Amino acid sequence: MTRPYTPWLLLLVALALAAVYLFPLYWMYVTSLKGSSEIFANPPTFWPVAPDPGVYPAVWARRNMPVFLSNSVIIAAGVTAITVILGTGCAYVLARYRNVWIDIGLFCVLMLQVLPASVMVTPLFVGFNQVGLLSYPRTAVVLAAAAKAMPFFVVLVRATFMSVPRELEEAALVDGNSRVGAFFTIVLPLARNGILVCAILTFMSSFGEYIYSKSIIQDPNLQPASVGLSGFLGPNSTDWNSIMAYAAIYVTPILAAFVILQRRIVAGLTSGALK
Amino acid sequence: MTAQIELRNIDKYYGSFHALKGVRLTIEKGTFVALVGPSGCGKSTLLRSIAGLETITSGDIAIAGQNMTGVPPRRRDVAMVFQSYALYPHMTVEENLTYSLRLHGVGKAEARLKAGEVAATIGLSQLLGRYPRQLSGGQRQRVAMGRAIIRNPKAFLFDEPLSNLDAALRVQMRKEIRALHDRLGATSVYVTHDQIEAMTMADWVVVMRDGVIEQQGRPLDLYDKPVNRFVAGFIGSPAMNFLPATVTPDGQGLTLDGYGADRIPLASPAAPGQAVIAGMRPEHLRMAQGPASFHLEVGTIESTGSATYLASADGALQLVQSERADLRPGDRVGLEIDPARIHLFDPETSARI
Repeated sequence: MTRPYTPWLLLLVALALAAVYLFPLYWMYVTSLKGSSEIFANPPTFWPVAPDPGVYPAVWARRNMPVFLSNSVIIAAGVTAITVILGTGCAYVLARYRNVWIDIGLFCVLMLQVLPASVMVTPLFVGFNQVGLLSYPRTAVVLAAAAKAMPFFVVLVRATFMSVPRELEEAALVDGNSRVGAFFTIVLPLARNGILVCAILTFMSSFGEYIYSKSIIQDPNLQPASVGLSGFLGPNSTDWNSIMAYAAIYVTPILAAFVILQRRIVAGLTSGALK
Repeated sequence: MTAQIELRNIDKYYGSFHALKGVRLTIEKGTFVALVGPSGCGKSTLLRSIAGLETITSGDIAIAGQNMTGVPPRRRDVAMVFQSYALYPHMTVEENLTYSLRLHGVGKAEARLKAGEVAATIGLSQLLGRYPRQLSGGQRQRVAMGRAIIRNPKAFLFDEPLSNLDAALRVQMRKEIRALHDRLGATSVYVTHDQIEAMTMADWVVVMRDGVIEQQGRPLDLYDKPVNRFVAGFIGSPAMNFLPATVTPDGQGLTLDGYGADRIPLASPAAPGQAVIAGMRPEHLRMAQGPASFHLEVGTIESTGSATYLASADGALQLVQSERADLRPGDRVGLEIDPARIHLFDPETSARI
């Protein structure tokens, strides 16, 4: 048996890049536990001398985090719900029909992905203002963020639907089902894994949504945690351990969820629905 | 006999591609009809049109006397077995079998009972709790069959159901499908590209090419009296030999172009001097004991034990015989044929003369 060629160099580069990307995460946790003088110590300490976890409950209460976090959850849940319900239908149509209009539709969907949120936010703000949506700022953010999340979802879920053989649906039709019935009893259950994974990814990314929330939601009681965090940062802010504790509280649940689900997420993204 | 399925002037276009051209076909109740033809001839399209999975451009489809043109598949009451079996991967065998029953509002207990019966018929009783991925190819094939017969439909449609099985299993399933058809007294339409399947299973064979029905009839009629060169070449294995020939001046014989001036007698007279294509089945050619009608220079010899296949070096002439022959490439063999078994075709139109 010959050993498969292992691209050690590429692996090393990848690991180095991952380390660069993950170091801030480590630094966040470490800094949150440091005292205020240790934070500015030079050379920096890589492990806090006197870890003080008391900063966590303090920040939780002082910064009104329950409100911010529940807003984040509401917005992320709304975005996910809209994206999954509309995106699944859209992806199915794009997967099953082939003609010029479908190609144009797909192109437009991908085009949406190209437009950055920071470019879209001003026209959206003006538009929402016109129709009076700014009185319901969280709803407005959910709509804007769902539109942003949609292309990614549609493209991935479309691939999942394409892996479900057409003959299964035809068999269901001949067996006596309608198109809609065949979709719900045959296609949807088979595409479930892919849809679930994409829904989780959508939830995770919209949990951290910032640009639309920052611009559209003025009332602190309706702002999500991402905006709450930026309100923490002032020109003279020195309260780094509290800021890091806030960030840690914000990020940890999502991180934990990802670690727990990562096997399924990776499997769902790479394999077809059928095996 | 009443017509179970009637197709009247079916036309089907895919864009500008004319897939079915004015197809007319009447399928009697209780018959087993095979649609055969090379790939792309429209046989699957025709079957899917009967099922309602393809919308036809024009024409009428009637099933059991009711006009079904434009009616969605679920209201046509036909069952279909797909080439890939199309078993629902997320359902057990039992759920696969009862899917259609549940859709038609049959109670759970009754559906269970029925699934048990069907499973016993097709020999799947042990496997009701399994998922399709845990079954072998032959077992999947049976489940697909079971899913079709559980409903007692007006017609069974088979779309090349055996092409994914190995050769031995295919021969066995061929018999089983035919036996099932007879037991149920069903009407079956069976699409295949394998003429052996069509010949062995069907009561009525429909040969298609390029969206047109070339000939239909009982299997042996097609074999004995093909209406044109295409059908003649398609039915029978190995394929019929086609040799350019000229009718002798007295109209009673043939000379093969390129095989010398040997004269082959004809059973019935033809127009003297006419250029024809002589069709002779490899199994009808015999090595001559006495004076030969014409000769074959042996190119290849294949022996399977039960039969010996001889072919000329250019492959244009083949013969099969059951006796073993002590021959070597390059040997010259005298051949003869029963004059009644020579088919003549017009070189221009390919039609039978």
